[in-house]
Amino acid sequence: MPYPDRETFQSFLDDLLGMRFDYLEIGIPTEKPYYDGPVIRRTHRKAMEGFSFQYLKEVVHISRSRGKKNYALVYYNHFHEDVDGFLDKIMDSGLEGAIVPDLLTDYYDEREYLSEEFRKRNISLIPFFTSSTPDKVITEMLGLTDGWIYHGLQPSTGIRVPVSIDKMVSRIKSLCGNREIIFGFGINSAETISELKRYGADGIAVGSSLVPYMESNDHEGFSREVRMLQDGVYD
Amino acid sequence: MYSEQNVDIIPEKWYNIVPDLPEPLPPPRDHDPENSSIDLLNRILPKEVLRQEFTSSRYEPIPQEVIEQYMQIGRPTPLIRAKNLERFLKFNGKIFFKYEGATVTGSHKINTALPQAYYAANEGVQEVVTETGAGQWGTATALAATLNGIKSTVFMVKVSYEQKPLRKKIMNLYGAQVYASPSNMTDYGKKILAKDPEHPGTLGIAISEAVQYSLDHDMRYLLGSVENCVITHQTVIGQETVKQLEAIGEKADTLIGCVGGGSNFSGFTFPFIKTDVEMIATAASEVPKFSKGKYAYDMIDTAGILPELKMFSLGADFVPKSIYAGGLRYHGAAPALSLLIRKGRIKTDEVGESQSLEAFKIFSRTQGIVPAPESSHAIATAINYCRNPENQGKTVVINVSGHGLLDLSFVRD
Repeated sequence: MPYPDRETFQSFLDDLLGMRFDYLEIGIPTEKPYYDGPVIRRTHRKAMEGFSFQYLKEVVHISRSRGKKNYALVYYNHFHEDVDGFLDKIMDSGLEGAIVPDLLTDYYDEREYLSEEFRKRNISLIPFFTSSTPDKVITEMLGLTDGWIYHGLQPSTGIRVPVSIDKMVSRIKSLCGNREIIFGFGINSAETISELKRYGADGIAVGSSLVPYMESNDHEGFSREVRMLQDGVYD
Repeated sequence: MYSEQNVDIIPEKWYNIVPDLPEPLPPPRDHDPENSSIDLLNRILPKEVLRQEFTSSRYEPIPQEVIEQYMQIGRPTPLIRAKNLERFLKFNGKIFFKYEGATVTGSHKINTALPQAYYAANEGVQEVVTETGAGQWGTATALAATLNGIKSTVFMVKVSYEQKPLRKKIMNLYGAQVYASPSNMTDYGKKILAKDPEHPGTLGIAISEAVQYSLDHDMRYLLGSVENCVITHQTVIGQETVKQLEAIGEKADTLIGCVGGGSNFSGFTFPFIKTDVEMIATAASEVPKFSKGKYAYDMIDTAGILPELKMFSLGADFVPKSIYAGGLRYHGAAPALSLLIRKGRIKTDEVGESQSLEAFKIFSRTQGIVPAPESSHAIATAINYCRNPENQGKTVVINVSGHGLLDLSFVRD
């Protein structure tokens, strides 16, 4: 956020806040969004122009007032040089927590430190796992955190390589017990969502598939796409 | 070697080490920020191969048809005690070697070529494309394609194409079309030839040409090493070794293998990962990826069509000295292997050509098996290891990844 500019972003946010969902994932734009595909990478570059923490705070305030819980998606490479200052701003903005997709792959040795910094501020570090996260690492991260879990379906956002959804979901569920698991990365069809749900997913996160509608300022298409995806969730 | 008595030694599942790694395997990254090379893999690889590349499953069932093909090409391969080598070295421990040269194509490469060609054929692909350096991978691909009823095209690094005409002949015999790379068959090859018509080629260029050719002609590309699914397939080597050692009541203290891209070594050692066995990976001194390489994201192919991987690498544009062990000339090493080396779980060694030639001769004269020049590097490490008095009494297992019968010009008359 804000993509493609504050005004357009705000108008789509208004559309979205009228719809049924629980968590709003707000991307903090960065220069090195390694685990995003080309669509979201494009949004990062543009959104950096309009981003400020003051604006983030306003967006979170609006969203909270509509009953949504708000989480940042932010790369550790964006704030690892000033963890204190950055997390203070996240806390101040009213966010419930943050997903840090490059923590375990690129900054593995800092996982305990970062978890502690989140805990001190009473904000949730949402563990981000993928098919490549080893069992031992998952178990350890569950002990360091207490919120829901974000599981990447694909190696990056907005792309689709073949996946055995049944095996993937049953594996992560067997490791995570009763923790709520939300799947994201590359989800763009009601069929995939139904399948995820059938095998026990607690929720899904979408992003890339909505971006083209924001780029063409197509509110009708945007709402239709969200409803289509919701058909998979609430069928 | 065609005995069916030992077929229960062939595993029913491949082992994927990713869920058991000490840290997450760094995922592939796009080289070009405007496009997704990960997404492009959908057009490059057979679907099932791509699914296995990113799977979270610890075990993948081996299709019955592939098990049958494994039997046809000589699996299980023998585990042999190298008693003559023990005597020669005055070593009072035990030396065993797993002999992948006993497959019909003469190396471990067929272990992954068969399933990849099988999945491609199952998905209706008519033709597969790949590259080859020394020729073993191209040979394996050519045979795997023909056994699965599809065609194959191989881009062979030009210097090997010229030095090893017999390899080209075998590939042709198995029905493959073979081109010397850089070639005029792809835009990338043409670009390189325009700059230097006498360019000797590198594996990175040949990979780029094969991938581009498969995209241009809507074929599928077969992966020879480095990628995780290849290593998963190669775990037939280590899983057989585990069963064979159990059957004779032996326990390995040390496993030694050579590393080009890392697939034979990883396939051999990863099934032992939960034990305390010592593991030593040997690279060529002329391609010093462990001592001088950086552990960082780097390109797999020179053209940057494929996603980048985090690995020990000398850089995709590294041009090695023209050592005989073509299979060890690759600039990088598989990500899971690189991670385990980085964490200290796997030790490394680097052996020069003269030392590997000495090992080649010793092994040929003591055991009668002519090892591949690549495997001779692992044998050289094993010889040094067994000559160290501290290691007396140990049980050492070497993966002899291939035979060297087509590499006899390695020995000067």
